[in-house]
Amino acid sequence: MKARRLSAPTLLLLPAVIVLAAVVVVPLILSFYSSFTPFRLTRPETFFTFIGLRNYQRILSDWNFWVAFGRTVLLLTVALNLEMLLGLGLALLVEKATRGQRVLRTIMMFPMMFSPILVGFQFKFMFNDNIGLVNNALQSLGLTERAIPWLIDGKLAFAAISIAEIWSSTSIFAILILAGLLAMPKEPVEAARVDGCTPWQTFRYVTLPFVMPFAYIAMTIRSLDVARAYDIVKIMTDGGPAGRTELLWTLIARTAYSDARMGQANAMAYFSILLSIVFTVYFFRKLAAARTQIGAEW
Amino acid sequence: MNRLLSGVAAGALLLVSGVGMAQAADLPGKFPGVTIDAKLIGGQQYEKLYERIGEWEKATGAKVNVLSKKNHFDLDKEIKSDIASNSITWCVGSNHTSFAPQYPGIYVDLNTLLPKEEIDAFVPANIAAATLDGKLVMLPRAQFDVSALYYQKSLYQDEAKKKAYKEKYGEELAPPDTFDEMAQQAEFFANPPDFYGTQFAGKEEAINGRFYEMLVADGGEYLDKDGKPAFNSEAGVQALDWFVNLYKAKAVPAGTTNYLWDDLGQGFASGTVALNLDWPGWAGFFNDPKSSKVAGNVGVKVQPKGSSGKRSGWSGAHGFSVTENCANKEAAASLVWWLTNEDSQKLEAAAGPLPTRTAVWEWDIEQAKSDPYKTEVLQAFQEAAKNAFPVPQTAEWIEISNAVYPELQAAILGDKTSKQALDDAAAKATQILEDAGKL
Amino acid sequence: MDANASARLKRRIATVAHRVGLFLAMLVICLPGLWIVLSSLRPTVEIMAKPPVWIPQQVSFDAYVAMFSGVGKGGIPVLDYFRNSLIISITSTVIAIAIGMAGGYAFARHRFRGKSAMFLGLMLTRTVPGIALSLPLFFVYAKLDIIDTHFGLILAYVALNVPFTIWLIDGFFRQVPKDLAEAAQIDGCTRWQAFWQVEFPLAGPGIASSGIFAFLTSWNEFALASQLTRSINSKTLPVGLLDYTAEFTIDWRGMCALAVVMIVPALLLTFIVQKHLVGGLTSGAVKG
Repeated sequence: MKARRLSAPTLLLLPAVIVLAAVVVVPLILSFYSSFTPFRLTRPETFFTFIGLRNYQRILSDWNFWVAFGRTVLLLTVALNLEMLLGLGLALLVEKATRGQRVLRTIMMFPMMFSPILVGFQFKFMFNDNIGLVNNALQSLGLTERAIPWLIDGKLAFAAISIAEIWSSTSIFAILILAGLLAMPKEPVEAARVDGCTPWQTFRYVTLPFVMPFAYIAMTIRSLDVARAYDIVKIMTDGGPAGRTELLWTLIARTAYSDARMGQANAMAYFSILLSIVFTVYFFRKLAAARTQIGAEW
Repeated sequence: MNRLLSGVAAGALLLVSGVGMAQAADLPGKFPGVTIDAKLIGGQQYEKLYERIGEWEKATGAKVNVLSKKNHFDLDKEIKSDIASNSITWCVGSNHTSFAPQYPGIYVDLNTLLPKEEIDAFVPANIAAATLDGKLVMLPRAQFDVSALYYQKSLYQDEAKKKAYKEKYGEELAPPDTFDEMAQQAEFFANPPDFYGTQFAGKEEAINGRFYEMLVADGGEYLDKDGKPAFNSEAGVQALDWFVNLYKAKAVPAGTTNYLWDDLGQGFASGTVALNLDWPGWAGFFNDPKSSKVAGNVGVKVQPKGSSGKRSGWSGAHGFSVTENCANKEAAASLVWWLTNEDSQKLEAAAGPLPTRTAVWEWDIEQAKSDPYKTEVLQAFQEAAKNAFPVPQTAEWIEISNAVYPELQAAILGDKTSKQALDDAAAKATQILEDAGKL
Repeated sequence: MDANASARLKRRIATVAHRVGLFLAMLVICLPGLWIVLSSLRPTVEIMAKPPVWIPQQVSFDAYVAMFSGVGKGGIPVLDYFRNSLIISITSTVIAIAIGMAGGYAFARHRFRGKSAMFLGLMLTRTVPGIALSLPLFFVYAKLDIIDTHFGLILAYVALNVPFTIWLIDGFFRQVPKDLAEAAQIDGCTRWQAFWQVEFPLAGPGIASSGIFAFLTSWNEFALASQLTRSINSKTLPVGLLDYTAEFTIDWRGMCALAVVMIVPALLLTFIVQKHLVGGLTSGAVKG
């Protein structure tokens, strides 16, 4: 009996393992190797020159790399937290609505239908300082006389990118948290109400702990998938001007293809993977903790 | 015939060479049963030409198999990936004079495959730009790009402006002939945030290219004779200062350092920019009331002169190349010829882009006779084309560009002085060339 | 009386506040999207205008007509892109869900050694940024000769989606009380039957939402698609968007029109599928 139970999960997990090994692990080994070579796309023979840790030494001693690294961490922190808060708010608003749930839920997911590169173009045009929608609106409403250089000033550009990113990804949090709210058993809430809890207390001590695992699932999915923000940033500023919005991904992509220095780019990529791993493990822990809190077994 | 034979020897296709193409009159030739794999640049405005591929197939009996159609930058990525993975199994590829030096050795010398009189029918400067180390690596199509100055005509007919300008500078107000005049007028016209004197592309290869041509116009060199970066010279500082001062004076939109070509075109079409140094591809767009506020009010003039008296003329041309790995080089060359021959160029040029064959230029100007705007455009660009020069033909051009442009931006935004920025950029460029074993 | 009235007032204020909040939230979500739709219908001269033109003066479907009018007349092979996108997204979603259900069930219902590590390991495969993956993947695909095929892209998207379908479905299975399936088994169901008849419907919302996720990810993915596709054999809609860009120009109106063509089916599908987010989730069933 015991032996059979052991084989069941193995069998169930096998397809996932095979697909991931083929598409992720094998290419990853290749790129890991190439991070120790001076591999240039236009000179394939360089793939076989081994230069040890030189790529890593170079990027680690490059101040610009660390600035981009720090900025990426900051963007992730800001964007993910705001997305979670806004997603939670949105899910609660939609859940409370008595009519038009279907339409509301569909609208809530509207930004998810936008391909990131489209989001990039869209916000680039909206934030254009001369003829963009945002400045036009502000000027028409008489809020400003100036043409605000949204994508030029370092802080404003960071804000503009964050807004684009948050607009496009809050839905993911909202839909997951909403799904959690819907899956929630009704008795605990009713029991709390009967016990005389205020709506806030009910929310804080009953609802919130229940939906937190879903929020963390969303958080983790997003932290895994943040690199898709690359498409947005690439179109909006591509790290510029003067490196003011440079993120790890824009740096990697430019080094890899435009400069054709694949080896060095892969060394950077390993750093960005490290970053994602740290974020993921962190949220994973949070998730486990939130789960024990609501007593789900692990 | 000798040249032809040497080409054929490599191809080992003696059967086909029997019906080969020693004479231009024999083109496009007959290649029954041959299949040519091609990678073409995609994008709706480049597509019209590809309908002619069907006619070539009919005329030659060969087949064309389009492996990929992508925009320029993705095609570049793809070709680099192909080089890296040793999978250049195709015959004909789209190419561009600014990118061609990066693909060392994958394309054949078309001089060996096509009759001389056909190559002589192209504008010599275009052929020179397509020739690397004596090898003609591509034949340019009618997608030749050099910039000219677009301006709003009404500004120069406005009596009040004329008078004010004369009072302020003691000169008549007329479309500028030098970059100093252009900067002066840009500052004069500017009224931010509603109206700007001019604008420039502010990032990536675009700003580097603009800086490069300004540098040449000011009498400087980007790379010196030994291939060493030489742009941090006095001329370099002067060239960069032109951009810096316009930015400081708020004569350009504050966002200009993040602009690429699309933003510039949209900006000028919105009627909020007085002077715009831009590409021929926009000429139709600017004068079309559906897309542009300034339609009917657009003037075009040859590019201004720099301080050395030379006019700027950074240029590039799209074209087609034949790979070394191609099994049927004659057939491939015939296709390349077909896509760039007179009929093809007329087809493309009719929609606006500039041709690269002398005969088609004449035809184009003849066609435009009844259209004063188009005549003005063509005359300006024909004049501009005379000053055209390609980018330095080094494989590291794009990489250098990527290292240099953030420094140019830093100077424009005031983070660094021009000299400082150029010195830093030159140091980076030198390192790149050293890494590549060129210095 | 007084307390009653103030309670009623409070409730009314709460309702109004809720409505206003909801309306504002929906507005923020919709505006950029509507701007795209509007841009596709207006001539460029109005989109990029200054001073701005707020109320559309001329509305036309020119961009849509042009899109379908074939090569050389401003058209792009939109039908091919559409077909490719549809085939690739649907197939990869179905496969990803199947694999995800198997995996999610294993994690939620079975105990085995190294479970946490295994789980974490699966998730971490997703941390590789597409931009770092695209070239090595290209190498492997070039060797296998599956560049520019539906199969290649489907495989890549399944791998992209499996970690989070497993994760999500695991989460939802976990919410389904274990006793339910056990009770069904006691009632004479096999484990398989218990799964399909009891646990599956209850985990429905999870499966539906992971399905929506997987579909939208595949539908909108760009970084890998731009590397692994080449021609109308497999180019998907997001890659097709770039057909509207040339070296120096961009046809923003055309791009918006294609974007609308891309968004509408996704929107319809979401509208249909989201019903199942609640389907099988009657309160009675949850109470068991």
